[in-house]
Amino acid sequence: MYRRICFLRSEGLTDEANRIEQTEFAAASAKARESAESESEADFLMKTLFAEEEARVAEAVALAEVLVPLLSRRLPLLAPPPRDPAAASVAPRGRKPANDEDRGIADFIEEMLAQERAVVR
Amino acid sequence: MTTASIEKQPAAAPQQAAVPFAPPARTGAPSRSNILLIGLDLGTNKSCVLAGPPGSTDITVSKVVPSVVGYVKDGIVDGIITGNAKILYGEEALDQMLHVELVAPLDEGVISRPEAARDFMLHIRQLADPSGKAEIRAVVGVPANAGEQARENIRRSVQGIFSRILLIPEPFLAALGYRDDSRVRQSGYVDPVVNSLFIDIGGGTSDLCLVQGYFPTRDDQISIPFAGDAIDELLFDELNRTYPNNGLSRLTVREIKETHSYVGPSRKPLDVKVVIGGKSRTLELGDSVGNACNTLIDKIYPALTTLIASASSDSVVTLLQNLIITGGGSQIKGIDTVLQKRLADDGYENPKVRLAGQDFQRYVAIGALKAARAARENQWQVLLG
Repeated sequence: MYRRICFLRSEGLTDEANRIEQTEFAAASAKARESAESESEADFLMKTLFAEEEARVAEAVALAEVLVPLLSRRLPLLAPPPRDPAAASVAPRGRKPANDEDRGIADFIEEMLAQERAVVR
Repeated sequence: MTTASIEKQPAAAPQQAAVPFAPPARTGAPSRSNILLIGLDLGTNKSCVLAGPPGSTDITVSKVVPSVVGYVKDGIVDGIITGNAKILYGEEALDQMLHVELVAPLDEGVISRPEAARDFMLHIRQLADPSGKAEIRAVVGVPANAGEQARENIRRSVQGIFSRILLIPEPFLAALGYRDDSRVRQSGYVDPVVNSLFIDIGGGTSDLCLVQGYFPTRDDQISIPFAGDAIDELLFDELNRTYPNNGLSRLTVREIKETHSYVGPSRKPLDVKVVIGGKSRTLELGDSVGNACNTLIDKIYPALTTLIASASSDSVVTLLQNLIITGGGSQIKGIDTVLQKRLADDGYENPKVRLAGQDFQRYVAIGALKAARAARENQWQVLLG
């Protein structure tokens, strides 16, 4: 369950992750704590578990980041349809002025990251 | 278009572990109230750090620090250095230059001394978060067109010091910082993020960037490895030719430049008092200073016209009204009028070149802090370790 929470967060689905964490996971966590010999032991075990799952998810996502473009290159049949080179830069000129300040800056950052990913590929 | 590579060969260092995604928040990790955001303009000569909490516009720390680390020499008598510190930073290091080995972590805008860079970043963290308890997320400015190795060197230097990082080109951050957010929706306000061209002249590089309402592509940015330091070098050489054995240090030459720099026709006489061999002398530096500074114009003008030429015909007339110079180079007397006149002489339609103003040292960091506040969780790069 915690691994699922981690995956949701890595995908940016924090609301859903928080919902599970505060409901199903909180209940399961409380139950698990009851079976521990002491509060400190429960804390230790939980933290260890969390750290392992977080690391596992982080590694999986990192692996996917590396593996997917690699497989796409090596297995053309699995590759997504070729992109229009004109669209590859991701940042169409004069696309939009930023109206909402914060949203605008975050969108700029998104465009920057997309450009960086395109360069890496 | 890129006119020059700014890549540096890094010293050997272990592979760092930045990952281009945001891993899940840890249970027991610092709460959001414990997060401190930093906007950092990591400059070759001076760095600017701004810090503040997320979810507000408060700025709790605002400092400009010389980008220099001083390693105290062996054998210095106890008490000479406050607290018998082994490492000094910024102004303190410069004040004690007799007793320390001064190391500049950056050269031409990128990290050239990784160990010193790491020490400097520790100092930046200490300035921003004296308690040492906050989770630091930092947006750091990088020269336009900085290569992956240059970026990787920054990530390595902050690993274990900051928890998350975002690297964004400096001229774009300057545009964000220069933008007056309170006036964005006012009629008559020309939003620099919508259509402008920024010329950020720093110590190591001059960065030019078209900002037209979308994130600039690589073709919209040009970085030239000629800026304040290169002018210092030219002036230093010129002074040594004109006044052999003058004994002036590079630091003194820089001070002369910062006080007297100008571009355009020769301004003679330009008499500068200096102390040589313990005696006061007056040097006439009109041509020396002018020649060194005018070289900058010759370097950046082709890049400027290249970017103007790449703007669409619909936007270029407005763009020509919004050519903005920032960074230390904006303090060179006459730089706006000389560039403007040269454009006009070359037939450009009613060009207007402006100086960013008195906050020229801070715009990149202001933009960086704005970006830090606006960044989504999954946009940060998490620094493992």
